[in-house]
Amino acid sequence: MTKAIFKNKVKTWFSQPQNIILLLFGIVLTFSTVAPIVAIVQDTMKIHPGTIDQHLTGQVTGYTLVNYVDLFTSRLAKTNLWIPLLNTVILSVLTCFISILFGGLFAFLVTRTDMKFKRYLSSIFIFPYIMPQWTLAVVWQHMFYSNKVTGTSDGLLAAIFHIYFPSWWCQGAFPSAMVLGLHYAPFAYILIGGIFKNMDANLEEAATILDTPKWKIMRKVTLPMIKPAILSTILLVFGSAMGSYPVPHYLNLTTLSTKYISMNSMYTGEASILAIIMMVFGVIILGMNQMSLKSRKNYTTVTGKSGQLTKIRIGKIGKYLVGIIFIFITFFTSIWPILLFALETFLPNPGDYSFLYTGNLAHLTTKWWVTNENITENGMYGQPGILYNNTIWHAFFGTLFLAVVCALIAGTIGTLIGYAVAKKRRNKWANYVNNVAFLPYLMPSIAVGAAFFILFSNERINLFNTYTLLIIAGVVKYIPFASRSSLNSMLQISNELEEAAIIQNASWIKRMTRIIIPIQKSSIISGYLLPFMTCLRELSLFLLLCTQGFILSTTLDYFDEMGLYAFSSAINLILIVTILVFNTLVNKLTGASLDSGIGGK
Amino acid sequence: MKRKVLSLIMAASMMMASFVGCGGASTGSGDSAGGTEASADAPAAELTGIDKIIAEAETMTLDELAKKAIEESNGKTFYGVGNSSRGKTALPLFIEYLQGIDSSYSMEFEWQQPKNNKIFEQLTSDSLKSEGTFAMTLIQDGNQIQSKMVDTDILKTYVPKEWAEANGTTPDAYEGFLPLQTLNKVFMYNNTGSAEFTNCWDFVAEGSHPLFMGVDSEIVGKNFLMMLTRDDYAKMLKDAYDKLDASQKSYFDPTIKAMESEASDLGLGADAKYSLAWIKLWINSYNEQTDDGPICNTLVDKSAKDQSGLLVYSKLRSVEESATVSVNNINVAAYQDGYTGIGGYGYCHYLFLTKNSPLPWTACAFIAFMTTTEQGFDAWGKDMGGYSSNPEVAKAIEETYHHSEGGGDEFPAKNDRGYDWWTTDGQLVLEDPAYCSEVSFTVGSWIDVQDHYSTGDEE
Repeated sequence: MTKAIFKNKVKTWFSQPQNIILLLFGIVLTFSTVAPIVAIVQDTMKIHPGTIDQHLTGQVTGYTLVNYVDLFTSRLAKTNLWIPLLNTVILSVLTCFISILFGGLFAFLVTRTDMKFKRYLSSIFIFPYIMPQWTLAVVWQHMFYSNKVTGTSDGLLAAIFHIYFPSWWCQGAFPSAMVLGLHYAPFAYILIGGIFKNMDANLEEAATILDTPKWKIMRKVTLPMIKPAILSTILLVFGSAMGSYPVPHYLNLTTLSTKYISMNSMYTGEASILAIIMMVFGVIILGMNQMSLKSRKNYTTVTGKSGQLTKIRIGKIGKYLVGIIFIFITFFTSIWPILLFALETFLPNPGDYSFLYTGNLAHLTTKWWVTNENITENGMYGQPGILYNNTIWHAFFGTLFLAVVCALIAGTIGTLIGYAVAKKRRNKWANYVNNVAFLPYLMPSIAVGAAFFILFSNERINLFNTYTLLIIAGVVKYIPFASRSSLNSMLQISNELEEAAIIQNASWIKRMTRIIIPIQKSSIISGYLLPFMTCLRELSLFLLLCTQGFILSTTLDYFDEMGLYAFSSAINLILIVTILVFNTLVNKLTGASLDSGIGGK
Repeated sequence: MKRKVLSLIMAASMMMASFVGCGGASTGSGDSAGGTEASADAPAAELTGIDKIIAEAETMTLDELAKKAIEESNGKTFYGVGNSSRGKTALPLFIEYLQGIDSSYSMEFEWQQPKNNKIFEQLTSDSLKSEGTFAMTLIQDGNQIQSKMVDTDILKTYVPKEWAEANGTTPDAYEGFLPLQTLNKVFMYNNTGSAEFTNCWDFVAEGSHPLFMGVDSEIVGKNFLMMLTRDDYAKMLKDAYDKLDASQKSYFDPTIKAMESEASDLGLGADAKYSLAWIKLWINSYNEQTDDGPICNTLVDKSAKDQSGLLVYSKLRSVEESATVSVNNINVAAYQDGYTGIGGYGYCHYLFLTKNSPLPWTACAFIAFMTTTEQGFDAWGKDMGGYSSNPEVAKAIEETYHHSEGGGDEFPAKNDRGYDWWTTDGQLVLEDPAYCSEVSFTVGSWIDVQDHYSTGDEE
């Protein structure tokens, strides 16, 4: 009898798709998240021939704790650990601050005021996120460097206007945070904008009727309402900034990420400890987010769509003036880099703007595009021109394949997880699956990449430089985009809809394809679009997993490091155009777009 | 016995053959860097697996090896991995050469160039398999090769017979890694201002911030600094210091004095205090850049007044003349009359078979092709600043490309004076893997704790 009841219970349990999804992905994601962590922890204790641990232990194989002792207590501790750690925290905090301030202000202006040119500004504002982050760092160098301050050749402002920016502006924490802040400001814009857009204006209006001063309304009503969005932005940006390798690398800031790379050759085990430290930060942030989730219950009004949303009038001139100011700002953050990239592909030498000083257009060249032979002179380094460069085009198609596959897999898994978690929202296992799916996002890309390298580059399995490895890493890292987007949207769907379909005997597939997905199409598509876009220009995650010409971002980085800026600029243009084409296509076909989906519409 | 005597004679002659360059002869200051000792000491019959193949291959000519390679790899895929992308250019020429022997021959290939030191981890991972993916490698950084690849038996040195003969030795007698080429990084400075660099100590003088890739970005740069502590190079630095005038000396003297005890603690020679002082000042002052390409782009610009740098010589070939950019905006320090001291440093690209090479005969033939024929070295030889380890190939390359007069009267900085000049008059500091490996965690760790310069430090 008991056996029959148990059997029935099991049968009933398995008849609910959400249970199977949670069970399956709970197990798979536990492995895909925990296994790399275990691998990297093991690496911190392993003796690596030819490195410091071999020197200190006198052994060539085995396990030891000497890496921990040396990293934390040797005379190099300050150089290898404490200063990079401090710089990393400063960089991450500053980046969060800049992105929230810039993105949040812009979100407010777009959603809550009658500022003009919104449509244009909204599209252009997300461009810095489309571009690989370090390309903005290269633009920064081209603009502000000078012989006088940075000991290099003069950048544009020094060369043309003799303006010399101080060292702190050119290199270090400030420019790194500025570049990353601009890069991640679209996160803040979309997340905070999403709330502003749906926020019930009645609360603010009530405060106004009660004659509350504007600053007080902002502090006591508006800001608390957007607190969850600010916390979400911090959640997304802090981890990303902490794991960024290329920006601090180009702008000369020593962080845990840059130190990880530089220590990897002779202090391999100690470098893995740095990766662990970055991961611990990820876990702490996730824990903080969990706490903030509890507090979100106090702001349930945010979820209701108000029919009384009113726009703040900023004056007849003001609405144009503010719009123009933002057109000016976004010109430099979004358009100017693209113009510079385009221009760079016609300069005779990297950064050689002599045609500007001389006014002679003959100083421009098309050699970077049309050279059709293997020559090493004139800066070509044996590379055929961009149009004929097999490395670039091979990497381009490889990247496209990778991005499409990652987006499809991560998008589908994330959507299913979002669906299942929403269905079982009070279930502990569902919460666990939700968290374990989100955790990889908070782990710095460089650390996740390192973990996958260690895990899949060993005696039994060697997937280095294969699409399989890149897809695995990409999927694990990008599932959070889709699961977050999907969960937010699924929570808005009442169970009654699906229950009605169940009564009609509609299968689960039918319910999903005919009811659930069509209703939340926009959010679900952004769950596919974001992994696609991020994957196209991802560097930190893939840096350690493949060779230089394998995908476009590593090829771009390779050309950038070599100083072949014409090639890297051209790749940038290719990436931007590709993303815009795909975004437009998806927008035309489905009505969804990047600036409407990140936080779930 | 006769064989051993002959080996000794040949080894001595080899040591004199300067073309072999870095990693060539053991310096006596550490364990031998050799990878062929097993094949030298044991008859081929007693060897097994890859060692046996290498021992046999070392007795064969390139043509004989080519036949073996055709038998082994026809219709297969050859995987190579290297720090230089030119392996990819050399492979089609190699296939063409094999097709000249057997027109039906075909081979696919893939050449990988990992980033950020990953080549060592990739080779280590691959070595764990019973049959590896990579047939061979072209790799730099003698220090890590010694400690991570050779000491662990992951890589195997094969010395082509004809290459050894060209260097006046035999494969059996030769000890060391097999270098494909030596590359030089040399001191250069922008000449549009008034600064003068007439002594290698000028690059570490007060206010000087040479552009350099940084010791963490490229380990061969750290190897260079470690090499400076070897007795012969330490003496070069001392000699250069002695030629400074009193006022210049007074700036360096406190640092040199402070380094006396450090040199003693590190177990270095009498002149090493000069080396340590120079290294300390260099690390305290160099302006780190991501690559030699950007360094070159900076130095040739007329706005980079008085800036200097230590960068790959061959980068000069990539400069296109314009209104503000010119090769004539820079001087190669060692080419200037009256210049004293080291002119830069040299490091090698070494060739190895992997211990579990899936195509060992083909790998040996490819290595022989690159090191014994002009065609095989052409992918590298067409550029200045890279010198074949085979004197015959080097001569043929010079006759074809005339690097010594590549810049003519118009661009004298591009007239490459060649390996012989650089390693004598040019005082190039050559990398010795065994020495670097030996001092890696003494001098190397000391280097790690030195303070690095960052712009704004003087504000």
